[in-house]
Amino acid sequence: MPIYGDLGNKLVQHAKRTQNLAHLPPYQTELVRAVTREVRELDKDVASLLEPYQGSFDPSADQATACTLLVNHLSMRRNKRCLLAYHRTRTDKLEELVWSGADPLDLAGLQAGAVNDAAAADGGESSSLSPQEEDYFRQYGDLLAAYKGQWTDIDLTGSLEPPRDLFIDVRVLKDAGEIQTEYGAINLTKNSQFYVRQGDVERLIAQGYLQKLG
Amino acid sequence: MDIDDILRDVDPTFHTIPQEKRDLQELTRTWIAERSAPELLPWPANGLFERINSNIKRQIEKVEEMTGDMDPKTNFALIVIQTELERYRYLVRSYLRARIAKIDKHTLHYLSTDELRARLSEMELAYATRHQALLHNHYLSSFLSSFPPNLQNLNDTSVGLNMIDTPDLESAVFIRLLKNAVVRGRGVDADDVFSARESDIVILRWADAKPLVAAGSAELV
Repeated sequence: MPIYGDLGNKLVQHAKRTQNLAHLPPYQTELVRAVTREVRELDKDVASLLEPYQGSFDPSADQATACTLLVNHLSMRRNKRCLLAYHRTRTDKLEELVWSGADPLDLAGLQAGAVNDAAAADGGESSSLSPQEEDYFRQYGDLLAAYKGQWTDIDLTGSLEPPRDLFIDVRVLKDAGEIQTEYGAINLTKNSQFYVRQGDVERLIAQGYLQKLG
Repeated sequence: MDIDDILRDVDPTFHTIPQEKRDLQELTRTWIAERSAPELLPWPANGLFERINSNIKRQIEKVEEMTGDMDPKTNFALIVIQTELERYRYLVRSYLRARIAKIDKHTLHYLSTDELRARLSEMELAYATRHQALLHNHYLSSFLSSFPPNLQNLNDTSVGLNMIDTPDLESAVFIRLLKNAVVRGRGVDADDVFSARESDIVILRWADAKPLVAAGSAELV
């Protein structure tokens, strides 16, 4: 029998580790389930301990039971905090991905970093997100799109670096096809270099097609 | 202090600074303050962002109009306008993002009282409410719904701990005095009261600086 709180601790360790990772490690379905089960069992214990007293429990008369109840009570709440912390860390990470422009419809790209390509190709089960997290990812994407839509002239997800130059030198890392700018069309082929307006290519830099030089 | 300030001191009806310039000054100040303050500051209620937005829109239209004109003079003006436009956009974007970050961090706190809700713009309020609902829903479907009912709340205050996290109002900020004022600061060992002069820069707890900033005697830097 594991010590109460042990599993919760594992969740927190997972969460802590996740904070420093670039990708999202697989969702700990089993662990979450086990911690939740522990909470239910503790709650059952509390109920059965209190049952004989019929609601007239006097802590000072039976201190041993009172202590057990207190420990159970605190353990349940601690487990809850662990679960909340674990899930919040992951949703924070998901939100970050949404802000950085990961396509909500293209979750495959998200998994590619976490598992190898062969596993990602199977889709579905190898996802590092729980089904609930996939829902959350989509819904947050919609929410952000709605908020962004009210600031169309600003491009809310644009660069947070203060703009210095209107035009910048970029090198093309991956073929990105032809883009339209107000100075005409540019064909972005790999390894070529351009002097372009930063606002026109910000998106492509964020997505890794272009590299800013200088 | 430049000549305009002096003239305005002498004659309060003196208004040479155009609205656009004052707006930019206010935007810059609001932006700096928002980024420095540990808690969310009130959304400017004087229509600042409506004006800024329509200015940005106007300039974008102007840029579109001027593009295609190959005259070098127009072209140079175009670059100046576009550079300015990018800077405006950056200020607004950075400001909005700083606010969203704070709102996301302490959503339940900012939604908890009317006084705090009033600090959010309408759009932010809609965003925060929806975001919180999404989160709660996510917790529920992931694990919370299989909890005993009395443990399903997200705002428990039992065991002497409030589940709702709040911003740290005691963290340090830098302020610049805009006029002579008495500054009260609480320290770890001792408190301090002294009279500061205009343009002095002071570091102190945000909770102590807040009244000065609210009264317009100081600004965050």
